[in-house]
Amino acid sequence: MSRWSNISAGTLFLRLVLWLLAFVTITPFLLLLLTSIKSKADVLQGAFALPAYPHFENYLAAWNAGHFNIYFWNSIIVVIPVVAASVFLGLLTGFAFAYLSFPFRRTLFAILTLGMMVPAEAFIIPLYYEMRYLGLINTYAALILPQIAMSIPFSTIFLASAMQQLPEEVLEAAVLDGAGRFHILRKIVVPLMVPAMSTLALFLFIWTWNEFLIPFILVNDDDYRTLPLGMLFFQGRYTVNTPVLTAGAVIVIFPLIVTYLIFQRRFIAGLTAGATK
Amino acid sequence: MKRSALDGSQQTNFIYLLPGLLFYAAFVFGPIIAALGLSLTSWDGLSMPKWVGLGNYVDLFSDSRFYIALRNNAELMIFYCVLPLVLGITLAACVWNLKQREQLALRTFLFLPYIMPTAVLGIIWAWLYNPAFGPFNQFLRAVGLGAFALPWLGDFNFVLPAVGIVATWYFFGFCMVIFLTGIQRIDPSLFDAAKVDGASARKTFFWITLPLLLPEIRVVLLLTVIASIKSFDLIFTMTRGGPANATLVPNIYMYQLGFELNRFGAAAAIAIVGAVLTFIINFAIHRLVGSQNKGRA
Repeated sequence: MSRWSNISAGTLFLRLVLWLLAFVTITPFLLLLLTSIKSKADVLQGAFALPAYPHFENYLAAWNAGHFNIYFWNSIIVVIPVVAASVFLGLLTGFAFAYLSFPFRRTLFAILTLGMMVPAEAFIIPLYYEMRYLGLINTYAALILPQIAMSIPFSTIFLASAMQQLPEEVLEAAVLDGAGRFHILRKIVVPLMVPAMSTLALFLFIWTWNEFLIPFILVNDDDYRTLPLGMLFFQGRYTVNTPVLTAGAVIVIFPLIVTYLIFQRRFIAGLTAGATK
Repeated sequence: MKRSALDGSQQTNFIYLLPGLLFYAAFVFGPIIAALGLSLTSWDGLSMPKWVGLGNYVDLFSDSRFYIALRNNAELMIFYCVLPLVLGITLAACVWNLKQREQLALRTFLFLPYIMPTAVLGIIWAWLYNPAFGPFNQFLRAVGLGAFALPWLGDFNFVLPAVGIVATWYFFGFCMVIFLTGIQRIDPSLFDAAKVDGASARKTFFWITLPLLLPEIRVVLLLTVIASIKSFDLIFTMTRGGPANATLVPNIYMYQLGFELNRFGAAAAIAIVGAVLTFIINFAIHRLVGSQNKGRA
């Protein structure tokens, strides 16, 4: 019986199929990279043809003429306060849900989880008018404040369940030493929470960087657009110039790919921890 | 009753809750309640809202475009939920006993689309699908399948699957990763026992792997169903609901009614129906797929 050799031949075939599938999956990104270094004339030679030499000037054109320099900084200006504030507020509310008693605990928790299920599309209209009433349309605040609020449910639940995993004895010992609660949170809980906090920050970075609806509705001034939005309006202006369009797309996704490759393992560990909650 | 050694008086406990809750109430929960109220009015965004009770909902359920949007959404679920689930679980079963290094590499590639902004993916795929100079049709012509080189996003019959495939591409690696960690959670002695008993790979999959992956199946279903109901970015950037409503989904319809036609009450009603639909499906999945892991957080 050649059962064993059958299995290995089967495994080899299977691995071939898997790698082929992986290759097909990333092909759009490879094509994007390839096209972003072509000239307009090269594009006419076919999508899979190689250019005579790389035209990196497309990136310059996207960066300057396509306003990607503005969009890029706007994305940074929005992402940093959103991530920082969400992690900070998530620590406080997470701490409360992990360790403290207060009235309407279950109701408040239900109201928070509601925010994780109801998509932004459902409340974007009142949010738009609220922002208009507050005079915040076309400001960074319009991009930052709602996104902090939208990340509070996930931050709270993620950090509260991470805090519940901490050994109770350490905290009890600190209480016996007479340390105040805020002191304990800052000096004992936060240092122990660094891995969970950085995973959370990673997720919030990706989500905020990718957010489309909030900047789409709450901002219509080009000076405040973030990268995904800039890409949409850039597409409208540069429909004929595919190389510059693809260079713009590479500028949007490059920071994501770098972050992903650096934090790959942490990312997937956090994803599955967060998802199965 | 004290919850932990750190518990204090209820007033001081509230200090920890308050900042986060205030933010959440101001920019999420408040607007959700306001949307509920707005859906009961007729409002053009300028004059005073006029109370119409359930009028918007009555109109909606006699609006044939809304039914088209719902049907399209249901069809898209095949591509958002069913295909990624089946593909993801099959791949996870294939990949899990490969060597660590190879598994990691495959996982990295297949998961890549999931971290991208769907709006940008929509723009990229609109270019890939371009009938004249898009790589997709060029590839078909190059391999002698030129007859199948269609104007994908302009074809009434093929546009929904064309958009759907992008959602499948986006989600299947994500599903695989969740299933992979699920398989790693399963006690390996179960697989060893099956091998000793001479069970085939297929039998092991259907009788051991699949039932034990129910919690992960539930998670994947929940996340993809919610994603399909809130699908907006991808469809907006690829087709804006066209051609001729072929990819119209509730959220695109909501955008058209609200921000293009200034019928904000009707738009809010669609948003509320979408949210209610999400709750119902969420509840149904919890009941049907069952939660054997009640002990977990």
